[in-house]
Amino acid sequence: MVILNKKGFKLPRVEKEKFITLIRLGLEYDGQKMLFSVKSYNNINQLRNTLQDILKSEIAFTQTCTVCNVDFNCSTCKYVKACPTKDLPFSCVCNQCLRPKKNLQQQTLF
Amino acid sequence: MKNSLWVEKYRPTIIKDVIGNEEAKTLFVEWLENKRPTRKAVLLYGPPGVGKTTLVNAAANEYKFRIIEMNASDTRSEKAVTRIADPATSFTGLDKFSSEIKGNMLFMDEVDGIAGNEDRGGVNAIIKIIENTRVPIIMAANDCDLEKLRSLKKLCLLIRFQQTRIPLIILALKKICEQEHIKYEFEALENIATKSQGDVRSAINDLQGLSEEGKTLTEQDTLALGLRNKDISMDDTLQGYFASKNLTEAVILLNSSNVEYDDLLMAISDNIPRRYADPFKLAEAYDYLSQADVFRGRVGVENWHLLKYVYNNLAQAAAVDPESYKSFEFISPPIRVITLFWTKNKRTLLANICTKIGAQCHISKYEAKMIFIPYLRLMLQQKKKAPALIEWLKLTPEEVTFLASLKMF
Repeated sequence: MVILNKKGFKLPRVEKEKFITLIRLGLEYDGQKMLFSVKSYNNINQLRNTLQDILKSEIAFTQTCTVCNVDFNCSTCKYVKACPTKDLPFSCVCNQCLRPKKNLQQQTLF
Repeated sequence: MKNSLWVEKYRPTIIKDVIGNEEAKTLFVEWLENKRPTRKAVLLYGPPGVGKTTLVNAAANEYKFRIIEMNASDTRSEKAVTRIADPATSFTGLDKFSSEIKGNMLFMDEVDGIAGNEDRGGVNAIIKIIENTRVPIIMAANDCDLEKLRSLKKLCLLIRFQQTRIPLIILALKKICEQEHIKYEFEALENIATKSQGDVRSAINDLQGLSEEGKTLTEQDTLALGLRNKDISMDDTLQGYFASKNLTEAVILLNSSNVEYDDLLMAISDNIPRRYADPFKLAEAYDYLSQADVFRGRVGVENWHLLKYVYNNLAQAAAVDPESYKSFEFISPPIRVITLFWTKNKRTLLANICTKIGAQCHISKYEAKMIFIPYLRLMLQQKKKAPALIEWLKLTPEEVTFLASLKMF
């Protein structure tokens, strides 16, 4: 599986038609940095399929934690199987923010 | 503690507090701030309880709009829509100059529910209003793929709402627990969030229902919760319905089924003779079924509070004799649906013939079918008169063959 950062990722060189399709589906291309980023989320499922075709591998986008703003991957989440929306949309709560670990003082010492 | 609904008490008042669907929120705000002026209206669509209405209310509060709302409880016929929405979207209130209010915002909730005679012309009226509006028009729907919304969709910016994720729901539940001073086990919140299947509203309602002041909410307390979304198919519904051991089991199952009420009623009616071998039990079950049918008729398109009686009667029919249950093969889909499917071509052909008769004889299609067709069939059997008649009515050979073979309709 390929993990893509929605804010900027590289793709192998694609044909003109494929590039146009990607842009129409909601990607944006920064010519200077040579990075693609997700601009529109309306056709995100189609976009995902097209990217999977290009990369010939299953892809997943990184998620941004709404609490600490850190990017993380869905595979680290324990609810991934029960998740109703797979890795879309792109914001969620990371494990650390959801269930903060007790600090040393709170932990029971044996 | 339980005096007010937590769903209302903790309803976000600013956009930032609406949980989940960040992309949808961004798109909506961009449209509202006029960064996407290509569309005059916006259609928010997605499953129930994901924050569509909440987002609109929060946005109105934040951007100082006065919401003029029309929801499923209002009649939304052409006349009603025009009466309410037309002045709201074409005039500016004088208070705009004296108060903080920026203007009106028309919000039509559950537009996919516009249906039936009472709402006749509603969609067309909305389209006209969108074309001439001077204020933002927002609509919300659970299902935007409906045929009746096709023309409306072309005029709107479509914003999709996804189900809210489990971690986000847990976080929201945690916040509520902290504010209500409720002690909880993390697993209990996990269970509530998982079983809500992305519906924040139902998760909060479940939390309110299960929590008690001064008592810790444990995982054990949440074990009895059922899945909130209606995910059970026709076959599974029938299987579970007929195998129900008591009334409660049947009611719970019917409540969690996603089968249409009418299809369910027909399917149960078809299968019930297979379920009860004893004619007296069968008669009793059919009696409950007929009562359910009566209530279904009374529900119509607006008296949804009567739906519980439909379910109760259906459940009674399943619980007439639970001990006698033996598994059997179900008839599914309902016989009526199968019959309609198989006779579709014939019905289309007959309708075409009736249209032709109606056009020539200046009568309705119904009259043509009831009065003319039986005689036309007899007249076509007379070899001398038949060709002239066929030419006059412009019948195709296929239609002539169909009429000749017609036994009943």
